[in-house]
Amino acid sequence: MTRRTWTTGFRVTLGLVVAVTMVMPLVWMVTTSLREPGSVPPRRLEWIPDPVVWSNYRDVFDALPFATMAANSVIVTAIAVPLSVLCASWGGFAMSQLVPSTRRWLVALALVAAMIPTTATWVTRFVLFSQANLIDTWWPLILPALMGTSPLFALVYLWSFAGIPRDIFDAARLDGTSAFRTWATIAFPLVRPTTIAVTMLTFTMHWNNFTEPLIYIQSLDRQTLPFALSALFQLAPTDWPMLMAAAVMLTVPAVVVFLIGQRSFIESARGEGWLGN
Amino acid sequence: MSSREHSTRDMAGAPAQPVTAGVGRRPRLFRDIAWRGQLILLLLPFLAGIVLLVFLPALIGLPLAFTSYNSLDPPEFTGLRNFRDLWNDRIFHLSLRNTLGFIAVAVPLRLLGALAIALLLARRVRGVGSMRAAVVLPTVVPDIAWALAWLWIFNPIYGPLNILLRTIGIEGPAWMLDENGARFAIILMMSWQFGEGFVICLGALSDIPSEIVDQARVDGAGRWEQFRSITLPCIAPYLLVLVVRDTLFSLHANFVPAKILGQEGGPNYATTYLPMWIYTNAFSYLRLGYAAAMTWVTFLFTFAIVMSTWLVLSRRFGRWGP
Repeated sequence: MTRRTWTTGFRVTLGLVVAVTMVMPLVWMVTTSLREPGSVPPRRLEWIPDPVVWSNYRDVFDALPFATMAANSVIVTAIAVPLSVLCASWGGFAMSQLVPSTRRWLVALALVAAMIPTTATWVTRFVLFSQANLIDTWWPLILPALMGTSPLFALVYLWSFAGIPRDIFDAARLDGTSAFRTWATIAFPLVRPTTIAVTMLTFTMHWNNFTEPLIYIQSLDRQTLPFALSALFQLAPTDWPMLMAAAVMLTVPAVVVFLIGQRSFIESARGEGWLGN
Repeated sequence: MSSREHSTRDMAGAPAQPVTAGVGRRPRLFRDIAWRGQLILLLLPFLAGIVLLVFLPALIGLPLAFTSYNSLDPPEFTGLRNFRDLWNDRIFHLSLRNTLGFIAVAVPLRLLGALAIALLLARRVRGVGSMRAAVVLPTVVPDIAWALAWLWIFNPIYGPLNILLRTIGIEGPAWMLDENGARFAIILMMSWQFGEGFVICLGALSDIPSEIVDQARVDGAGRWEQFRSITLPCIAPYLLVLVVRDTLFSLHANFVPAKILGQEGGPNYATTYLPMWIYTNAFSYLRLGYAAAMTWVTFLFTFAIVMSTWLVLSRRFGRWGP
């Protein structure tokens, strides 16, 4: 009994040390963003800057069209995330209902597509998008949502739908319900945990996306928020308080969405969450 | 009543099998055709996405690799010149070596980290949810913000990391100013972002049937024995998938760190990994044909790494398997 308590105590302590280590870089990001600009950098570890200065956050907006870029990010994400979830769940649902031979082909195709690193398509996507006159528009950022942003999400949906007893769908089909209605009224509501996880992950991918805007978008007023950070870094490479203030503002939405969505997949009980089965 | 009859009959066979029922045959046939048509419609956006954005670009890369193309003038056929140039490109060779070295160190490190911490936080104790969230948190931070934060952390004089090291009496390296320091720094900052592997390990661990573990404990198996003969074989398939996935991830994910921390792959090309060099050639030098050739070489290289990892590990895991 005491030995068990002792090991649990050890586990908790070690877990805390790990947790603190993991978030430490973010803590430093925040404390640095509150330092007085231009002041002598600290020679010792500093947890709360003296004085605490909030003006760095305002300075970001004066340095470049940060608000416009934030709005662009919001618009692109607000279009791309629902579209990803729709297309991934449609694809997954269709795959789960098609005959096994067709399904095997589609799964193989999706897996191969997921294996091809995005790096391998940079150059030719750029060529295709410039042929289609889509460079410097938001299309190159939104179009990947058609394949669910990552082809893996359609497979995640496929596995979730495969976990639902087949007779439910068969009954709907025999009652003359259309495939779309079956998806909308039966299948999609039954896989809520998957939808939460996919929404969260696609949000992170689109909100955080830096490389694709960097390649496909040229005008600053059409750029998204991650590019603002690199532009700011070019403008003021040593103004750490301002850079970190911008980094905090970019990071907060990603963290908030993660914290809202995380319960569904980290704390999901065995067999319930999208990783459970 | 008849609908119930149909449904039981249908459950026995696959939906695509020819309909043999005599009564109501035509409507049912139409209905099945309509259903399949609707399914294909639902599948269409996804198929269009992977064909237009993955397979088509991957295929167009091949002819493009034999041309000289700057995205303004029409491409000009140059035969094998791009590949000859690649053969002689010192920085391309260096970027291959950098990438291999990165994979060899970062992938095992990230995986072991994910597994060790998943083992630590697998049991439900008080506050474990917050600890798990804290472990995944760095993974959801935007790459660019993460890279900038670490550029500050790695500052040789004022950076928190070297200050921390100094308080315990170690003079930290110059990090991004030094070739090996820079390589190590990028591996270090990326080894915080193993959330995906962690979540998958956690899921795999929670799927181990508790009866087996209890039985082993009753039989007097020690902790290590339990891990080696129960835990590891149970999660081996997940680990195998993770190794492959992480290798693929490592082949492109170091682009942003190399661009920001390495300031375009420096110092002295030490952090010029393959994606960095492809990007530089394609979008800074506008040598799109050359970059396409490099992409194809990268592609084959990826394929070789993934296949050999898969073969070696599946053989090894095969021995552990049930």
